[in-house]
Amino acid sequence: MTPQDLKTLLESSFPEARVHLPRVRRLQVHLPQPQVLPALAFLKAQGFGHLSAISCVDWIEENAFELVYHLWSYTYRFHVMVKTRIPRDHPTMPTARQIFRVAQTYERDIHEMFGVRFPGNPRLVPFVLEDWQGPPPMRKDFDTRRFAEEVYGMRSIETELFTRREQPYKGFRKK
Amino acid sequence: MNWIQATSIVWVPLLAIATGLLYMGIARKVIARIQRRYGPPVYQNFLDTLKLLSKRTAISHGTIFDLGPIMALAGGLLTLLFLPIGGYRLLSFQGDLLVVLYLVVIAPLGMALGAGDSANPNAAIGMARGLTLMLAYEVPFVLAILAVMVKYNTASLWDIVQAQAGGWHHWNLFALPLSAIVADISLQGMMGKKPFDQPVAPHEIASGPMVEYGGKYLAMLQLYHAVAIFVETSLFTVLFLGGGPLWAFLLKTFVVFLVAVLIHAVAPRFRIGQAFTFYWKWPTLLGLLGLVWALVL
Amino acid sequence: MKVQEKPKKSLSNWARGRSLWMIHFCTGCGAMEMPPTMTSRYDMERFGIIPMATPRQADLLLITGYLTVKTLKRVIRTYEQMQDPKWVIGFGSCTLNGGMYWDSYNTIKRLDLYLPVDVYIAGCMPRPEAIIEAFVRLQEGIARGEFDGWRRYRENLAWYRANQAKVMDVNRWGALP
Repeated sequence: MTPQDLKTLLESSFPEARVHLPRVRRLQVHLPQPQVLPALAFLKAQGFGHLSAISCVDWIEENAFELVYHLWSYTYRFHVMVKTRIPRDHPTMPTARQIFRVAQTYERDIHEMFGVRFPGNPRLVPFVLEDWQGPPPMRKDFDTRRFAEEVYGMRSIETELFTRREQPYKGFRKK
Repeated sequence: MNWIQATSIVWVPLLAIATGLLYMGIARKVIARIQRRYGPPVYQNFLDTLKLLSKRTAISHGTIFDLGPIMALAGGLLTLLFLPIGGYRLLSFQGDLLVVLYLVVIAPLGMALGAGDSANPNAAIGMARGLTLMLAYEVPFVLAILAVMVKYNTASLWDIVQAQAGGWHHWNLFALPLSAIVADISLQGMMGKKPFDQPVAPHEIASGPMVEYGGKYLAMLQLYHAVAIFVETSLFTVLFLGGGPLWAFLLKTFVVFLVAVLIHAVAPRFRIGQAFTFYWKWPTLLGLLGLVWALVL
Repeated sequence: MKVQEKPKKSLSNWARGRSLWMIHFCTGCGAMEMPPTMTSRYDMERFGIIPMATPRQADLLLITGYLTVKTLKRVIRTYEQMQDPKWVIGFGSCTLNGGMYWDSYNTIKRLDLYLPVDVYIAGCMPRPEAIIEAFVRLQEGIARGEFDGWRRYRENLAWYRANQAKVMDVNRWGALP
């Protein structure tokens, strides 16, 4: 199946999808949120059995998160990216765990970094950040520099770090 | 009376410790040169022991943990006193070869006891491997010793040394060559050198039984290691190389140790199952053949 | 607990300097420079420094690179398991001022708020020649009795703990949630 064939197949099965092919071996499908999981199941049945990743993009001006599901097929050898927008305040998305088991870990990561809830995922526990006290750090309204200065404390370079060497360097010498 | 002879049980342990530490330093230098780099100076192990003795805190897991290195060092020194070193008959008596065979086992058992009290699974794994390896290498070693005992009809190390006197062609190395080879293979396992260093195995189990020992305990373990090297090479020298005067004795122990280090520098490590089956296959067979040789010839 | 020891040259200080055992704990990307330093080309063993497997046997801790909060917890536990006297070398710019991760939300910026550091090595990452220079400097300082980070840690433990409590939960060292 070529990407063109998949494009016609998707447009006939999902009337609200917008499909375009930006490059060779890449196909992007934009869908509204309720149709994402049926589309994932459909694509898995077509032979796209490998979920490479789930990414999240923060469109802060449009007040939305965009979730991207990256799929790959070993038989046809091209990528399909299923994209959807969810509202930015109280973001939720049903879990894709029933279709791809590995989505559990990617959703755990997005939950920790962006704060998106995935009801149905039994393991939304902290992943990378240990003893984390602040807001989800990958959101664009999180000022990471100010956070680092407050919590960790910067060092003033000029006064503390540079020292002059006492004697000129003579190489390794035995005393 | 000859004062050096009379006080020999005092200065021979000190000589053993010093020689053992020097040999360990020479081993590191030899291994470094084989790997095409400069190594540490040959007195490096003395510095290591001094540094360990000057640690300020001692972290312990209980009384048996403390007793482990003490028992190991004491067992090593005790075994040393029954070997006739360099022509000085220390405490050697009739039948002492069997006593030495028993005593040489006390030190690893002491270490195993101390390792059992470390609250660390690496120590337990190392201890299990060490005891398994001991079970493996004791069999060919005892066969080699039996061959020597049968040939000279005695179990006293002093008599065995006397019987090899009178020139290098009297050595057991040439009279019983099969048993000598078997004893050398067993020696590689006794000293814990590759390919038989499974109990220590620094990359796998984080130095095995020694994993929780630090500071002064580790200093005692270094001293035990030095004494053990000296004892084991001396045993081989006495049995097969006809231990002579002190300078010749030390030279012979150095040659035995150098052979072990050269194999250690280039060999990888067996798995413990492979080491066990290896020791019970060809060395045991060769040991039996050597025993037959000693009986027949 | 006040540890009374004035810096002085002595046999034990000389021996401590000549036989540093480092713990083989590779924290960040700076650990990539340790294998070249340890192996035949820039041989580190001729200075007496060998890598040991456990903190109980070691007396030199190398913080090679950045430290996230997760790793910092484990590093502090490792440091406190080592026996006195012990020294810490901070490799690379990330231990000095955060390095390339200077505005990151998860890495620490100044190592000596949490652990007493004796020698810093600047660079990202420092070459083996720089590492050996730092080792030589540490050895000479130990022989003179100057480096006493372990004493500073014992005397100012409350200050170090307060800094550590600012970034992690010091009541819960067994980390898993």
